[in-house]
Amino acid sequence: MTDSTHTPVRKIRAHLLLLVAALCSLGAWAQDAPQDGVYKDRIDWGLLMDMSGPTSASQGIWVNGFRDYMRKINEAGGIHGRKINVLAEDNRFNPATDKIAFEKLVSQTPVIAISGMGSSVSQVALAPTIKAGKVPIVGTYTATKALSEPVTPMVYNGFCGYKQMAQAGVGYHVDKLKLKAPKVVTLAIETAGGKEYHDYVAEAVTKFGGVATHLTVKVTAVDMTPQILEIMKLNPDFITVYGVSNTAILTMKGLAQYGLKIPTFGITYLGAPQMFQSMGGEAAANYKFISCFTPGGADQTPGNKALSQFADTIGRSEMKQDINYVAGWITAQMAAEALGRLGKNPTRARLIESLSKGFKVDTKGLAAPFSYSPTNNSGPVVFKLFGYDFAVNKFKAFGDFADYEKYTR
Amino acid sequence: MFEQVFFSGLALGSIYGLVALGFAVIFKATDVFNFAQGMFVVCGAYFAVTAMSILQLPFPLAIVFIVGAAALLGVLIHMVLIQPLSGRPMLSVIMLTIALSISLRSIIEMVFGPQGRSLTTPLPTGVLMLGSVRISYLHLTAALVSWVCMAGFGLFFKFTSVGLLMRASADNHEAAVVSGVNVNTMNRLAWGIGSTLAAVGGLFLGQLQIASTELEGIGLLALPAVVIGGMQSIPGAIVGGLLVGIIEQMASTYISPKSSDIVIYVLLLLILMVRPWGLFGQRELGRV
Repeated sequence: MTDSTHTPVRKIRAHLLLLVAALCSLGAWAQDAPQDGVYKDRIDWGLLMDMSGPTSASQGIWVNGFRDYMRKINEAGGIHGRKINVLAEDNRFNPATDKIAFEKLVSQTPVIAISGMGSSVSQVALAPTIKAGKVPIVGTYTATKALSEPVTPMVYNGFCGYKQMAQAGVGYHVDKLKLKAPKVVTLAIETAGGKEYHDYVAEAVTKFGGVATHLTVKVTAVDMTPQILEIMKLNPDFITVYGVSNTAILTMKGLAQYGLKIPTFGITYLGAPQMFQSMGGEAAANYKFISCFTPGGADQTPGNKALSQFADTIGRSEMKQDINYVAGWITAQMAAEALGRLGKNPTRARLIESLSKGFKVDTKGLAAPFSYSPTNNSGPVVFKLFGYDFAVNKFKAFGDFADYEKYTR
Repeated sequence: MFEQVFFSGLALGSIYGLVALGFAVIFKATDVFNFAQGMFVVCGAYFAVTAMSILQLPFPLAIVFIVGAAALLGVLIHMVLIQPLSGRPMLSVIMLTIALSISLRSIIEMVFGPQGRSLTTPLPTGVLMLGSVRISYLHLTAALVSWVCMAGFGLFFKFTSVGLLMRASADNHEAAVVSGVNVNTMNRLAWGIGSTLAAVGGLFLGQLQIASTELEGIGLLALPAVVIGGMQSIPGAIVGGLLVGIIEQMASTYISPKSSDIVIYVLLLLILMVRPWGLFGQRELGRV
């Protein structure tokens, strides 16, 4: 055979080799999936929260915590070369707006997953759509039975649950005060959530052979005299508060006015520094709040130090103490770690599959380690109580998470 | 227990009366049903936060700041928003005050953030015992200051030349114009006084609780107070405020917290049906 015969064969062989090499290298490149919010240089992650409506004071801060964690990740290079682009939709705590925003994140500006969903009414309304859909909810701000039960691979709770708040708070006080048949008062605003919380408290108290009484108060109450007079009649061993900031402030100021030093604990949402400052040192001396997250700066665990350092550098020194900020931060950590496990080719389907197998979240001290499994999507279940140290203007913890595990695990 | 509840209702009602008085002054002078009166209360609380926590002014100077800022706010609102709408249908003006309320809320949340702010002042805390009745010094101070403001305003209205001119403008707009009274100036003064009275209420409410935009809801309790007392009656607004405070506390204690809204608004409805000019207002007679 002459060279002229070999040349075409060599050319074909060379082309074939080039084609094979190209195909191999293509497989090594990250693949886009725009319909899932995955692009060459970024991944879109959605948030559905109230950022300008009646609950924006807490939910807006949660969004800041989430965004700041993702900013930290992006500044370090992103995840497998892609930056996380947070698309936060403002639902103004309105279910109709929430539905429109949800559909937008599913199909119009698609995201790989959604976090937040701070409106329980919206959760109930969207539950069937979410469970049957393609976009997982990773880290809810509030938990509802409609969305959480039965357990589904599409939903993962990301905030402290009322049931566990009641269990841990009641258990701690019964042990601490060495009570045999505790008398407890639940002071709650007149909402379905307040009634539900009282039911959890009553259930927890009954286990210790005690009794819980439900007292209600208006959301817009300016004075607690009627409730305080009733408390004086009931003479409880301790009180638990469910409501808004003013509920806790007026309760503690009212108790102080009547010289009552009854131990009182509030739900996680009632732990902002301004609340303690409004109560003043004397009134706040008997007040704590129960939380599954640690306020920024409250201790020196590695997780808290990392959060505090970053928050301080970006001007969030005050905000980092807000539990909502910490919750958003931790939820973002969950999201980032979930994406990290997917490698270079994330898609919604792969994310759902990965999450459904179960995973652990180690926040390095910001919360007790928690995990998810195919039969458990509760999220953080270990709590502890926090008070406020007016001498240093910081929160202080009463014990470690490990001390409280027996109440909720 | 009755005395305790009554006294706390009286203290609370004094603050409502103050806010209601501001509402009545504005209505009597300019015929404007001011739905932004609740936000004036909020503005007062945030002026106090600005003066005490941000600017860290000495307390006497902080009071001057709060009063001055609130008065200026009222005057500017009248000059820029209300005065251009004079002669227009009442619905337009009412819609404007609703829009003003929403705008003020958004501005405050943009400037100060949506979270509430704690307000600490040198106002006395602690409790005074009167027999078996416990009254917090802060409540007592709020009530006394409210009464001094109301009395001061009453004296101003009755015994000063400016007060006389304001009454003339409010009683008969056209006659006052013909008589050479600068009605626009009188109206601006009314808005300045109305917003200042609400701001003083906000100062106390902000310290009793927390300075937040949610105080607007409390400020709006001035509306039933003023309707019950009589929209055009200054004494009526004060008495209406006291009644609302006492009813709120009594109903919360002896029935349930939620029932206080029902009792207050049922009373409002009864007054509107039986005596629409209020307990202290005067029936308007028109000649055809």
